Amino acid sequence: MKGRYKNTAILVAFLLMYCTQGFTQETNEEVLPPFSEFKDPKTRTWFNTYGNIRISKRLFWVAQTHFRFEETEETPFIGQIGQVYNRHAIGYIYNKKINAALGGVMRINFNTDESSTDRNVVPEFRIWHQYQFAMPVYSAMIYHRIRIEHRWTQGFEENSEYIFRNRWRYMFRAKIPLNNHKLEPKTLYVSPEAELIMQSGRAVVGSVMEDLRLTTTLGYILTPRLTVAGGLMYSQGQTLENAGVFKQNLTLRFHLYFSPDFRRVRNKLPAIHLND
Amino acid sequence: MTYSIPHCLRIILNLIFFGFFLISARAQDNLRYEGPLTIGNYTGDATYGYVVSNGDTILNGPFRLKRANLDALLQKQDYSFDFSGRYVNDYPTGFWDFKFGEFKSNNESQVIDYQYRVAVSGIQEEASGNLVKGKPDGTWTYTVNRIEDSEVSQTLFKSSILFDKGVPQQSFRIENDSLTLAGRFLRNGLAHDEWSLFESTGLGAAESWFFDDGLLHKIQYELDGTLTTIPIYQDRPNRTQIVNLDTRYIKVLTIWQSLDQTSSTSIGGSMQYLLSENATYYKKIDDILSELGKSSFLPEFKVKVPYYPLTDNEERTLDSITQQFEKAKGASDSFLSDTQLNILKLSDEEAAYLYAVTDSISKNFLNPIARILEYREQEVLRHLPLGALIESLWPDGKPTTNIRVTITLDSITKEKNFEASNAKGFQFSKNNVASLGELMDYASICMDSIQQVLNKRLTNEKRQQELVAIEERLIAQQQQLKMFVDTANVSSNAERKALNQLKSLADAELTEYASLEGLEPKLKDARDLLDCFVVYGHLARSVAILPANWKTIQEKYKDRIWNPFMATLMDEEVKKRITSAYRKVLVPYFLAKISLGLECDEVEPLNALMQDTYQRMLELRLENTAKLERKLRRTTDPETVLELFGLTSTLKTKE
Repeated sequence: MKGRYKNTAILVAFLLMYCTQGFTQETNEEVLPPFSEFKDPKTRTWFNTYGNIRISKRLFWVAQTHFRFEETEETPFIGQIGQVYNRHAIGYIYNKKINAALGGVMRINFNTDESSTDRNVVPEFRIWHQYQFAMPVYSAMIYHRIRIEHRWTQGFEENSEYIFRNRWRYMFRAKIPLNNHKLEPKTLYVSPEAELIMQSGRAVVGSVMEDLRLTTTLGYILTPRLTVAGGLMYSQGQTLENAGVFKQNLTLRFHLYFSPDFRRVRNKLPAIHLND
Repeated sequence: MTYSIPHCLRIILNLIFFGFFLISARAQDNLRYEGPLTIGNYTGDATYGYVVSNGDTILNGPFRLKRANLDALLQKQDYSFDFSGRYVNDYPTGFWDFKFGEFKSNNESQVIDYQYRVAVSGIQEEASGNLVKGKPDGTWTYTVNRIEDSEVSQTLFKSSILFDKGVPQQSFRIENDSLTLAGRFLRNGLAHDEWSLFESTGLGAAESWFFDDGLLHKIQYELDGTLTTIPIYQDRPNRTQIVNLDTRYIKVLTIWQSLDQTSSTSIGGSMQYLLSENATYYKKIDDILSELGKSSFLPEFKVKVPYYPLTDNEERTLDSITQQFEKAKGASDSFLSDTQLNILKLSDEEAAYLYAVTDSISKNFLNPIARILEYREQEVLRHLPLGALIESLWPDGKPTTNIRVTITLDSITKEKNFEASNAKGFQFSKNNVASLGELMDYASICMDSIQQVLNKRLTNEKRQQELVAIEERLIAQQQQLKMFVDTANVSSNAERKALNQLKSLADAELTEYASLEGLEPKLKDARDLLDCFVVYGHLARSVAILPANWKTIQEKYKDRIWNPFMATLMDEEVKKRITSAYRKVLVPYFLAKISLGLECDEVEPLNALMQDTYQRMLELRLENTAKLERKLRRTTDPETVLELFGLTSTLKTKE
């Protein structure tokens, strides 16, 4: 009983801190509501391509392009384009289970506010690096991904300033083969995943939990170099404007994973196994 | 200082003498050789003198070749020899001495007078005497002694012969450890008077040969206390010939004696043995001497024998008899030893009859002729009276043209006669060469006619048996194929269909074969079919192994790929165009070929192509095939695919 009181006390203290901060910073603009407010879920559809192009024994080029659509009043899920992502990086294979990548993102944000008169398109830039660890568990694999992004965004208003934020992302994901004893070609797998995205920066006041994503996808490994997957994601997170207000999303996700290897055969052969 | 006249004279004389010496030395130019030398089987240290004349080496001066190896003697045994003598102008001349030793030591040594001495045991041979121009002259002795502990313990052989320029003279004496032969020669080397053979254990002569001017006229021998006299060449023959007393002479004597039915004692054995032993030893010396220079060192003991020359006509007849005999003998021997005929004669009357006739011809015609030809070969025939000889070969009289045989079949005995169709023209009752020729002619004709009949019989018989054997194998092959097809574990219908087709093909061919008639066509067809069935079996195996081959190919055509999204290694199929061309184009093509029906001669090429294709698939995995894969994209024609794979199809395309 004592423990619970203590926890409650800490929680209350945090809330108070938020409140005071919120009050001190944005006294005139936003006021924390007495209770968390949850906006209606927005429906979205993402078409994501993920390319891992092997360029040497240990290096690969990460090339991802995502097309993100969201609802309009008339059309749920796929009414209008929201963002177009271009994410590139150079990855380093430490071993079969551990790899890392460093690169940049250029995202094109489209103004989806139908009533807005501001600019329709603004770019957004990021530098990102990620560290991924894989672990085999019985016939399945589980993955831990830590991704850190340094992000410069601006609003749609004319001459709006870039604001800088850091994003701290951790994703836990499993891939469980359904019709096979391991992940290999012609295998259907289910992949539950949970990602927590935290953010920090001068502009981030209270809204540290940018997004919590809970996804389940169903994937199919066509070949060792080509996999398709599709699933549904629920996510929620604090809005930047008001930490007491939570946005919610329901997203249909469709993924294409490809990993070509354009190295010459003679370079490829000895290094396929890496360290084993 | 003053010189007296005699003193000066002496100096002058000395100078003159010295000058002569120089001149004579230069004129002779005699050279000496010292070093290793091999003569025949003898290798040792030699010293000899020689002159070189017109590039030829001519032995001249003292000669010595010797060898003795102490190490060999102490370890096991040593073969020593020591030849010494003198050559004059390439001829061994003067006193010569030959020693051969074969010694073992007892490994005990003594020091006597500052020398180590080792006692030896073994055999020592020694020959010595004078030579004139390479021929023995004067008394030659040849002694073989057994040595024990360096002392003579027994004389094994000793011969002592007086020669005059190679011709034995006066008396000689040859002895070994049990016999002694002593005899006399005339000046011309012919045996004369009494030659006596003594046994060392007995008293008096055991066997005496009496010669008169080289011609033997009687032999006396003592057996169990009784003295027997055998007269030989009593009637002085018209013509005689001088020959060496050797094996041939003894052979002539033996045959001569056998012609005389009253005596059956073998003669001359011991005497011949001693003489040939002596000749062997002399040959040893001759070999050595003739290897180096000119010599003829063989004692020639001459005797006279009757001489019955053959006319040219008779010689020609004998030549033709020899030819006919070889052929007829070959035929009769092959029939008599033919296993098939030997079995057949037990149940078949004709075979039994012909076998018996062949046997009779072999015994009564061919074997006696063989003896005559053998005597001719040994060159003793011309020393024998031919008429008597022929008579003795057929003691029961010559056979007639009518060959009478007795055959027993199923315990019924029958007598049958055989006669060649033109038997009437033959007359061979006389004891001469011409008659012998006719006899051989007749035997030949008989054998030819028997051969004609029997060959046909045996070939037929052989073929019948062969056919039975082939048919058994055919059925076994068909059964094997059937079983193989029924138990084969194939994965696709096409494969199953192809296998079944092979099975029914074999069945159909066997049915067709069964309807054939006649031995010849059946045998030919059966042989062909047997080959076919063997290749059907091979092809069935190749079809049955297709699933396994495909599995192997799949395994081979895989790379381990690291999938970055899954972080796992996965097997990736590679060169899919090639594997799919194999699986989707070539294999169905092969199976279709089989299912459509094959001719026998198409089976082996197809089988080979299937195996080659599989091998090629394994090779292609490792080759750079980028170009090939591009080309494969454009074709599904099996022939083109085979061509692209580098395989040549020898299959006929069926319309």
